[in-house]
Amino acid sequence: MKMIWAVIRPEYAQRVIDALEKTGISAMTRLNVTGHGSETGLMAGLVNYSEIPKEMLMIVLPDIDVARAVRIISAVAKTWQKENPGHGAVGDGKIFITYVDDAYTVRTAEKRKNSAGLPATTGPPA
Amino acid sequence: MKQIIAIIKNEKAEETKAALKLLGIKGATFLHVTGRGMPEGVSPARSLSEERPTPFRGEGKDSLPVPRDAAPSPAPKTKPGTGSFLPQRMLIIVANDGDVPSVIETLVAANQTGHHGDGKIFVCPMISAIRVRNGEQGDSALT
Repeated sequence: MKMIWAVIRPEYAQRVIDALEKTGISAMTRLNVTGHGSETGLMAGLVNYSEIPKEMLMIVLPDIDVARAVRIISAVAKTWQKENPGHGAVGDGKIFITYVDDAYTVRTAEKRKNSAGLPATTGPPA
Repeated sequence: MKQIIAIIKNEKAEETKAALKLLGIKGATFLHVTGRGMPEGVSPARSLSEERPTPFRGEGKDSLPVPRDAAPSPAPKTKPGTGSFLPQRMLIIVANDGDVPSVIETLVAANQTGHHGDGKIFVCPMISAIRVRNGEQGDSALT
């Protein structure tokens, strides 16, 4: 099981969510965050805007679905550039993936199994 | 060291804080988030009417009196399953490995109602913690 933290443009968030939902990935959490990337924000004249609003999606998935989700997010959250198609723009976002050791459902207090009914395989390599 | 990320209901946040305090967990981060669960979960309308019937029918002590023969307002028709994002609370606790089972037990005990939408708890590995005040590192930075 892996946890995906995707930082994307807020105006693309709904599009990404819809695209994920079409492939059966519907459980997720949204956070409104601000921040900037390695370009250190936007310069408007002499003023540096370093806290740019972004939307963060937190999704926990079985290992087998992670690549698919990352492909969808990175394709849909990309800005369309007329003169440079398929390359996106600065500020389109980042996707981070971390390990999840265990997942529990509060309602049943049970450890979550992945969709194949197998025990969740996880954890960093020892 | 483990990072425990729990997604719980807004109205259970205070109860959870009190329970964690009793357990001796000093630090926790609370975030206001929106989220939704698996499609087999319950729609917002149904879960509200199931779990909190009194405020909606005006039978609670604090609510305004309603006539006896007043029909209960019909539940809004929403498609169950992948619905809208509902406000929830995200709770992040970094704890020593040994404390993780008791923290999870406490979170479950404080938040469990037996209905869909009670929340999820994720346990993730965390490499290190550093106290900003004095640069202390590792397990001692947590207490």
